[in-house]
Amino acid sequence: MDSRLKDLAEKLDAGLIARREFLRKAAVVTGGTAVGLKALEGMARAQSQTKLRVWLFKSFVTAGNDLLAKQIETWAAERKVQVEMDWATFGDREQKFVAAIEAGNPPDMAEMNYQGPSRYKPALRDVTKLAKDVAAVRGGLFPYAERVVNLNGQFFGVARLAFGGGFFVRKDLLDAKGVKLPKVYDPDVVEMAKKTQDPSKDLWGFGQTLNRSDDGNGYMQNILWNYGGGVWDKDGKPALNTTFQKQNLEAIKFSVDTIQKHKIQPPGVMGWTDVHNNEAYMAGKLVSTNNGASLYYAMVAKKHPLAEKTQVILTPGGPAGSYLAAGAYNWGIFNKSKHAELCEDLIRWVEDEKRFDEYTKASIGQAGSVYKSRADKPYWKTDPNFDGMLQNILRSVWVGYPGPFSAAAVEVQAQYILCDMAGRVVVGGLSAEAALKEAHARVEEIYKIRGGKV
Amino acid sequence: MPTTAAQLGTKSAALERKVRTGRVGLKRWLGPDYRLGFLFVLPIVVLVLALVAYPFGYAVYLSMTRKYVGLPPVFVGFENYVKLTFDGFFQRAVVNSFVFTFGSVGVKLLLGMGMALVLTSQIRFRSFWTGVLLIPWVAPTVVSALNFLWIYDGSLGVLNYLLVKVFRILPQGVGWLSEAGTAMASVIAVNVWRGFPFFGISFLAGMKAIPGELYEAAAVDGATAVQRFRHVTMPGIRNIVIIVMLLSTIWTFNDFAIVYILTKGGPGGTTMVLPVFTYEMAFGAQRLGEAIAAALYMLPPLAFVIIVLARHMRRGRAK
Repeated sequence: MDSRLKDLAEKLDAGLIARREFLRKAAVVTGGTAVGLKALEGMARAQSQTKLRVWLFKSFVTAGNDLLAKQIETWAAERKVQVEMDWATFGDREQKFVAAIEAGNPPDMAEMNYQGPSRYKPALRDVTKLAKDVAAVRGGLFPYAERVVNLNGQFFGVARLAFGGGFFVRKDLLDAKGVKLPKVYDPDVVEMAKKTQDPSKDLWGFGQTLNRSDDGNGYMQNILWNYGGGVWDKDGKPALNTTFQKQNLEAIKFSVDTIQKHKIQPPGVMGWTDVHNNEAYMAGKLVSTNNGASLYYAMVAKKHPLAEKTQVILTPGGPAGSYLAAGAYNWGIFNKSKHAELCEDLIRWVEDEKRFDEYTKASIGQAGSVYKSRADKPYWKTDPNFDGMLQNILRSVWVGYPGPFSAAAVEVQAQYILCDMAGRVVVGGLSAEAALKEAHARVEEIYKIRGGKV
Repeated sequence: MPTTAAQLGTKSAALERKVRTGRVGLKRWLGPDYRLGFLFVLPIVVLVLALVAYPFGYAVYLSMTRKYVGLPPVFVGFENYVKLTFDGFFQRAVVNSFVFTFGSVGVKLLLGMGMALVLTSQIRFRSFWTGVLLIPWVAPTVVSALNFLWIYDGSLGVLNYLLVKVFRILPQGVGWLSEAGTAMASVIAVNVWRGFPFFGISFLAGMKAIPGELYEAAAVDGATAVQRFRHVTMPGIRNIVIIVMLLSTIWTFNDFAIVYILTKGGPGGTTMVLPVFTYEMAFGAQRLGEAIAAALYMLPPLAFVIIVLARHMRRGRAK
């Protein structure tokens, strides 16, 4: 018996306190003890509860981020697991991974971009069985996505989505001038831009930076392919200034001409980062620009008047076709995790079709399909602009194309070598030939270090 | 032959004498309380070894390795340094670093001197102006850089708006961060804006310490304002000028945030400076060995500056 209750009982027996007072004090003591014990029990349970550290990618589509976090919280409550979520953005994602891996303290699992499996392979767990299971019931992976996660037969990531996007065009301005939607950059985009722009009103036909940014990287990669060129040949060897020299020169010259000769790009475009074209487009300063679906999301979410005047179409092509690089965002589980099975369970949970459908809906076109069955979802027919985004994803190729996806190809992107190449012509005053030669030397150096493997 | 007790005694006495002589020598050399002295400096020595010497030594070691993320380092000797020496992009970063540093420090010196001279003169609301001029120095670098990113924006920036729409000085906006002629100057301008109050306030403190009688005597002798500045003010703040310049050189040389936020070293490497190059090598290329080698490449010029600074300060204290 509690000593305080014993004291009270003795006092009652001795007639020192009334029966009512005994009952009142006994109730307080018993209640207090019960509350205390409950609190202790809760604390003990919290301490013994499994804790999972999950790193997520914070995209510009905030509704998608919120929904994913909510789904994970629901899973955690159901499995009675404590989850610590941390977010990384475009700007600090790789830094966080490098620091955590080198410090020997990575999270249990993380949402990585296309570079993750190849770059962090030594720290990642082989998830082949799970990845194959998830893909099998979804019609399999598209080739561009499979190459990112399947490294020489072993999966180091479970593919989730690819960021959709396309060529954003001010349909109202094109209609006003009777201009058709462009299919190729040269001459379609150039002519469209010249006819619709009005520099005196600070309205520019085309907004595409070649500066060090993901937007610049993506455009430069695509335009080389569109002209029949590329950084790598089909064996995965450097081809910038060898196999594809002629085609690449044409592509560089066209890109530089959009700024210097055709003057269809706004002043300062070479200083842009990833957000500048979004801002300029939404401010009504651009007739067209290449961007991810986040731009459309921003306009729709804010009920921006330009949302209705915008059409998202297939990214324009060139003489050799119309190419686009895409990479799958994916889930990776780290070697150091002691809860790999829980991580796998969480991945299955968030990739469940019902939950992924909710996420797709919230993301307004950004959650592009990496699995074949997801491309057939009726969602993609609910908005005319989604079709352009989906078709872009479906025809995507991988970084390193027409060769294999490789660590060297990833590093060329990560070092913005193609952007630097264009920048050296536009700003540095180099000839296209000299810039190509310089960039090729850097690619050769990377190839020497990384080899052609993943 | 067995050793006798007498022989033993002689040996131990000799040994004792030797030890005592040694101790006496140490005492004479290090002072009478050298043991206590060692005890006192031990914590700081351990701290310096753990927090400075070990990380630095490890960084030097890593700079001589091929180190990729998640994999153990492989020793390659001076290969990284040799590779960097012949890397055109790195060479440009070195040149850009010196242009950025000396361009910034030079302008900060002039503006800082101007600020100090204005604030020592008889102007109204002097305290207010001193406070206002300190704002750039107080504001966080990231906030300042992000503000300038917007100010410099070609289409939406306030600078072009003022020059084109309000004052009609230019017919069309300038791509401040995107053109060869303006990109480096623009990042230098932000560094100057941020750093010149430090120069100004330091010089102001130095000028206030100059006795007023010196100026009065110079005025009586018929010295002009320029002559008073040259022969009274400058000698009076000479030491401060040198120290401030050296400190600012080190800080500017290592400035990462302004350049990274404004241009990431672009366009086309026009504003690529060594700290950004190092960062890109570490987190973009993820070649940690080479990144550390690039960072350590800056060490000799910076060490030179630090040595000059330290020697100057020691000499100043001796005087």
